[in-house]
Amino acid sequence: MGPVSRRDFYKILGVPRSASIKDIKKAYRKLALQLHPDRNPDDPRAQEKFQDLGAAYEVLSDSEKRKQYDTYGEEGLKDGHQSSHGDIFSHFFGDFGFMFGGTPRQQDRNIPRGSDIIVDLEVTLEEVYAGNFVEVVRNKPVARQAPGKRKCNCRQEMRTTQLGPGRFQMTQEVVCDECPNVKLVNEERTLEVEIEPGVRDGMEYPFIGEGEPHVDGEPGDLRFRIKVVKHPIFERRGDDLYTNVTISLVESLVGFDMDITHLDGHKVHISRDKITRPGAKLWKKGEGLPNFDNNNIKGSLIITFDVDFPKEQLTEEAREGIKQLLKQGSVQKVYNGLQGY
Amino acid sequence: MGPSCRSSAGAMWSAGRGRAAGPALVGLLLTLLVPGSGAAKTGAGLVTCGSVLKLFNTQHRVRLHSHDIKYGSGSGQQSVTGVEASDDANSYWRIRGGSEGGCPRGSPVRCGQAVRLTHVLTGKNLHTHHFPSPLSNNQEVSAFGEDGEGDDLDLWTVRCSGQHWEREAAVRFQHVGTSVFLSVTGEQYGSPIRGQHEVHGMSSANTHNTWKAMEGIFIKPSVDSSAGHDEL
Repeated sequence: MGPVSRRDFYKILGVPRSASIKDIKKAYRKLALQLHPDRNPDDPRAQEKFQDLGAAYEVLSDSEKRKQYDTYGEEGLKDGHQSSHGDIFSHFFGDFGFMFGGTPRQQDRNIPRGSDIIVDLEVTLEEVYAGNFVEVVRNKPVARQAPGKRKCNCRQEMRTTQLGPGRFQMTQEVVCDECPNVKLVNEERTLEVEIEPGVRDGMEYPFIGEGEPHVDGEPGDLRFRIKVVKHPIFERRGDDLYTNVTISLVESLVGFDMDITHLDGHKVHISRDKITRPGAKLWKKGEGLPNFDNNNIKGSLIITFDVDFPKEQLTEEAREGIKQLLKQGSVQKVYNGLQGY
Repeated sequence: MGPSCRSSAGAMWSAGRGRAAGPALVGLLLTLLVPGSGAAKTGAGLVTCGSVLKLFNTQHRVRLHSHDIKYGSGSGQQSVTGVEASDDANSYWRIRGGSEGGCPRGSPVRCGQAVRLTHVLTGKNLHTHHFPSPLSNNQEVSAFGEDGEGDDLDLWTVRCSGQHWEREAAVRFQHVGTSVFLSVTGEQYGSPIRGQHEVHGMSSANTHNTWKAMEGIFIKPSVDSSAGHDEL
């Protein structure tokens, strides 16, 4: 493990001292992909940097250890580092997580593979906006060595037997090899699935090797498939958000002020002093969802207004009053509104 | 199950070491009791909606299973069986609420709650109806629907003791529409599904209809209260 040095764990993760657990997980996940030694074969310090990253995450993600570290520094940490870094890495990427960027494993046709499991993960628009981590416990059967031997690679083979001079018989026989015995044992680990801001429906987050085992080969993968659920206020179209607001007849004519509460709680202010017709649309740039590839770019929020007309019939007096106020003549223009639709 | 739960409990007791101000201790006590039941649970944890799991019949030691093979009798719908293997992906079922949005991701399933069990690989829901089962003449249990959408006969009430369905508990599944319990009594099929057990509905609660959550992908109970807490 090396001498205990005064490492700045916050600096290693690139997060402020006030960072939330979510920020810390997000920072770890991003940096782990970049700093993994398999990805940096030419860097002699790659292994050390990767260890530092693992140590930083281990301390800062545990509220008790973080408190100790904040007060006393690295030397003040009571226990040593318990989990190996490989362990932490697999929480985010699965067992064989050093296959990066979601590229499929090199398919060696001769190695049989267990089944892949695809799990639909329901995600709210609030999570698409701000991102989140979902903790999941994976309990899976794992092939472990057992005493003795077992039959494996069983196949049909043709055997030729001689019945007599010049007479042969060909029969089919099942022939097996002998392999070390395996048994399936259930093991459990926690996985962290990141919901990245701007994630789209159908996108998948794979955890390599966390699928079903294969006694004669490799385990399959576990893939989380994002399913964005419907929201009562906002409708998503790409990076844009759509919403509707019903205003009163008076507000539509004289103007109004209102706030719309956005997905993370911040308020979008709307101020109208002109007449707002039914169906009028207001574009608020930058108030949509973050773009998946560049979170700094946000789509727009498009607000469509409709007008609530009074439900009760107006009195004679009111009718006269309105005619006076609006000073409008009769319009009554007849036209084809459908035009082929 | 997160380390933060345990460590905050540890901090609470060690804070009592000195003469801590009374209000501070009470404040600590309150912050520990108020969050959702997930913080107080010990053991393997709770089964939540959105989780994918295998169900193990404790008496006959088989896992609930389905596949793209239809019954040759009865309703002719997709068959549901019990298998002995622990590594078959066709034994995974997804726990969902009774209706759209009825059980948000991460909400622990309550004892007495109605859920749907959707077969992961074929998208059909665990289902039963008034047809006889092929081997034992109990009630046929099938897998029905498309892409997770079936009908009212897909609803099953989780019967367990306590407040929530715990992963280590043996529970029963009682059909909402016909009141039968999801059961196995040991009859086995021949070819083409040799060795698989018949799964059917039977009217009495007994040792044949207890099931336990085994392998799976268990979503941890969500900590934020957007789903609402009904126990407070």
